[in-house]
Amino acid sequence: MKAPDFSYFEAQNIEDAIKYKSEDDEAVILAGGQSLLPALNMRLSSPSCLIDISKINNLNEIKIEGDFINIGALATHSDVMNNDLVREKYPCLVDILKMVAHAAIRNKGTHGGSIAYGDPAAELPAFAVAMDAEIVLSGLSGQRIVNAKDFYLGLFETDLKSDEILTAIRYPFLSHNQHLIFDEVCRRHGDYAMAGLMAKVELDQSKINNLDLVYFATGDKPNVAQNTARLVIDNGYDYEKLKKSLASEIDFAGDLNSSSEMKLHLATILINKILNKLER
Amino acid sequence: MDDIKVNQNPKLGSMDRPNSYIGRSLPRENAKKHLEGGGQFVDDLVLPRMLHVAFLRSPFAHAEIKSINVEEAKTSLGVFDVYTSKEIDEYCTPWVGTLGHLGEMRSPEQTPLAEKIVRWQGEPIAVVIANNRAQAEDALELIEVDWEEKDAQVDMETALDDNAVIIHPELGSNLFWTRTVNQGDVNQAFETSHAVVETTLDFARHTGVTLESRGIVADWNKAEGKITIYHNGQAPHMMQHIIAKHLEINEGLVRIVSRDVGGSFGIKVHVYPDEMAVAAISKKLGRPIKFIADRLESFTTDIHARCHKISGKLGIDKEGKILAMEINDLSGIGPFSMYPRTSAIETNQVLNLSGAPYVIPNYKAVGTVVFQNKTPMCQYRAVGHPIAVAITEALIDKAANKIDIGLSEIRKKNFIPDNAYPNKTPSGVPLEDLSHQASMDKLLTMMNIQEIEKEKIANLDKNVLSGYGVISMCEVTNPSPLFYGVGGAHISSQDGASIRLEGSGAIHLSSSITEQGQGTEAIMKQIAADQLGVSMDSVRVTLGDTDATPYGGGTWASRGAGIGGEAVLKAARTLKDNILDIAAAIMQTDKNSLDVENNTVIRKNGGEGITLQQLAETVYYRGHELPKGTNPELLATASFLIEGIPFVFTNSAMGCKVSIHQDTGIIKIDKFWAVEDCGTQINPKLVEEQIRGGVIQGIGGALFEECVYDDQGNMQNATMADYLVPMAYEMPDIIVDHVTTNSGRSIIGAKGAGEAGTGGAPAVIMNAINNALNQLGKEVVSQPITPEKILRALGKI
Repeated sequence: MKAPDFSYFEAQNIEDAIKYKSEDDEAVILAGGQSLLPALNMRLSSPSCLIDISKINNLNEIKIEGDFINIGALATHSDVMNNDLVREKYPCLVDILKMVAHAAIRNKGTHGGSIAYGDPAAELPAFAVAMDAEIVLSGLSGQRIVNAKDFYLGLFETDLKSDEILTAIRYPFLSHNQHLIFDEVCRRHGDYAMAGLMAKVELDQSKINNLDLVYFATGDKPNVAQNTARLVIDNGYDYEKLKKSLASEIDFAGDLNSSSEMKLHLATILINKILNKLER
Repeated sequence: MDDIKVNQNPKLGSMDRPNSYIGRSLPRENAKKHLEGGGQFVDDLVLPRMLHVAFLRSPFAHAEIKSINVEEAKTSLGVFDVYTSKEIDEYCTPWVGTLGHLGEMRSPEQTPLAEKIVRWQGEPIAVVIANNRAQAEDALELIEVDWEEKDAQVDMETALDDNAVIIHPELGSNLFWTRTVNQGDVNQAFETSHAVVETTLDFARHTGVTLESRGIVADWNKAEGKITIYHNGQAPHMMQHIIAKHLEINEGLVRIVSRDVGGSFGIKVHVYPDEMAVAAISKKLGRPIKFIADRLESFTTDIHARCHKISGKLGIDKEGKILAMEINDLSGIGPFSMYPRTSAIETNQVLNLSGAPYVIPNYKAVGTVVFQNKTPMCQYRAVGHPIAVAITEALIDKAANKIDIGLSEIRKKNFIPDNAYPNKTPSGVPLEDLSHQASMDKLLTMMNIQEIEKEKIANLDKNVLSGYGVISMCEVTNPSPLFYGVGGAHISSQDGASIRLEGSGAIHLSSSITEQGQGTEAIMKQIAADQLGVSMDSVRVTLGDTDATPYGGGTWASRGAGIGGEAVLKAARTLKDNILDIAAAIMQTDKNSLDVENNTVIRKNGGEGITLQQLAETVYYRGHELPKGTNPELLATASFLIEGIPFVFTNSAMGCKVSIHQDTGIIKIDKFWAVEDCGTQINPKLVEEQIRGGVIQGIGGALFEECVYDDQGNMQNATMADYLVPMAYEMPDIIVDHVTTNSGRSIIGAKGAGEAGTGGAPAVIMNAINNALNQLGKEVVSQPITPEKILRALGKI
């Protein structure tokens, strides 16, 4: 379980990293390495070169930019959890990150890495989609911004071009009547979930005005359940109806810990859990 | 830290004396070394001229090697050579994993590398020797194999069918071993029973998951004709014999060194083909060779355990007295019986131990062990116990429910009474010095079942099913020669200790027992210091080196304290006796008026004594001052083995309370209680950590761990991300207490404590879960009990 040979480039700035990447299709970006390094050691991937961006200054900054909180790609999960701005403006993100693996992994794993890798079972891609986050991609031709909803294309497939590097994620602030509520069901604490749900709820008094349901660990990417959300707004929680709707909307893919039937069931009851949390 | 437990063993003297260390929770000195990262594990070892290996392993569960071409791999950067079975077999003879004492076993010869047929995914077929492991792995990719995949016999349940794939055609079938135990007449007893309950339970394969993976450095010294093997095993002298036999080296010229070992759990007490290949390569090349299994290799080549399907039947009378028990157990062990302990022992323990705490006048047990195309299976912590205890205790709960009596009440009705030992298990194995009644009574005072019953009802409104279980069990510890030796295995049941006073007054102790992190060194030191009358810090311990320790069995089957500890005690007493003889001669007084306290020979009536350092200096450097004829022997060696019975049994009572979320199927163990009777506790804290660690491994088996295979025999979850072991968050509060019944087989009175937790936890957890599900008339019968299995049982999916 040793990685095959690769060359290594320690980028001092983002321009160098982009240039290097654009010149070598087989090169990959190394940030925290929490997914990449195990894959290398298992010889599941054999890139020509690791472009280490972890030493680039300022790429881990967390700051407010207009109506957004901007999280630099290199901010580790621990950086984000312990950041005062995040704790004040986005307490829900702190709670979500507590469910991401374990402290040692959170100390190395980066926010940008998790968003860019796009593991369908991970919390952050679904969070970004639910929040309508803007994903900042830097390439040879400059910066472009992609909405998280359009970023995830399929299983570990994103809109990131081969000469681009994800440099930041911008989350719009929630308004006073908006809430991001999440829940997940795991076999062990810190594991990838059997099913998880990010729900962005907009309330008018106590009535749900608008609802976004984004699932993780259910299919090939963060799964948005638009029709089901509509049903919840109209009829509230009805297990059988919602289950039927989810089944038609999401192609549930079973894994070692839960079959597709199990995931469908959990996806349904997660709505109830979210609504119960909302009442509290 | 000084939580003195009252020592209830009069043979060991009062706790109220200087240097009384037996029975105290003293901190273990070697923990500090590990915390500082100063351990010396096999992978830390770097020898001059050392080469590394990587194995090409079968990607298929069953296939024929039509041809294999290693030429290109030989030219890869850093590669020294590439071998297949042809080269290795010249240096290592084959072995067979059968023994003679348990009836006919059929298992074919096995060689380090498979030659033509591979029989499990992970079986090694070629080995690259290179300057480092990465280069060896690079070259693996260049080996060309022309495979012809064959149908695999994956499912044990069809292994004996007419259309089964026969894994070893020369054997004619996939049957490895079968045994029937028949005591009394179960059929007649079932007919006259007031009620008969039945169940069938399934246990998934799991494995030991040691923190440190298997590793070996073999170093053949041609000039001396001697091989030194640094190995993270549990039984150095067993390995010494095996290496000598199969590499055809004089046994006296084989040295096995096992320094720090990061967990073993029985995984590291077997002979592995890759490790034998490494020894052979070193002998062929005359160079040190290192192999460290990576985690993928650990999952696919470390032994697995527990793959059982067992059905059981229990007949009771009107009052709940057990009249008869019958079990039928099927187990699949992979394609070979492991060497040298065989893969029959797990099933044998199931047959021996089912029903062990209870009076069961009629008992029948049938065990069938079959071959299959999966990783070989063999003895892992609490061998067979989880299956035996789970089937027994599940049946007893069913019987209690059937006639509506309490879960503890039915057990108490059926226990072999504490005052009725010596006695026998229903299968006929001798039992001594057990305390099921006292242990259950203590457990019940700890648990407060009335409160739990109230909570059960209250929780129903909250969509939570709560339940509890109580179980009793026997644990095999301190085996005698009747376990392996009688069957022809060169596995010592005797252990030795050697202890000496050095010129500086320091004590050096060596023992054939080994340490894998459980605190062996600490308890050996406690026994020696206690018995000699010296401070703990004056004792130094050497373990795990066949050139430096007495001969013995090593650490497995919870035998360290009870057998190895007794040898240390005897050696220390002899040394003390010698010291007092010499002191009496020097001090011109009666030996009986002297004692040793705080490293000093004291006069019991007062007056000046002499320190052990003074005594040692006199003996070693100024021997002319000693009265003529004084025996100058300051070295004592002693041995101990259990005679007359197969094992010294320990017993435990365990309880647990669980909550099950009805929507998610998530199971939470709210609390766990264990009462253990392991006789004398040398270090209570270490005993409790053995119980807790064992319980946690049992939780793993009950709720999480499973080697998942697909229909073709491909292991699906061979990573630490996918193979789930309990982590800190999944560990409940585990309350441990004790009943103390000393073993009459030794002075020290210690029985083993290493495996009860693992053996009992799966049963009590399953019972508690079924106690909860039973409120809705549901049950689960298959471990690990996953959320999905719960939801399916509840009809939610």
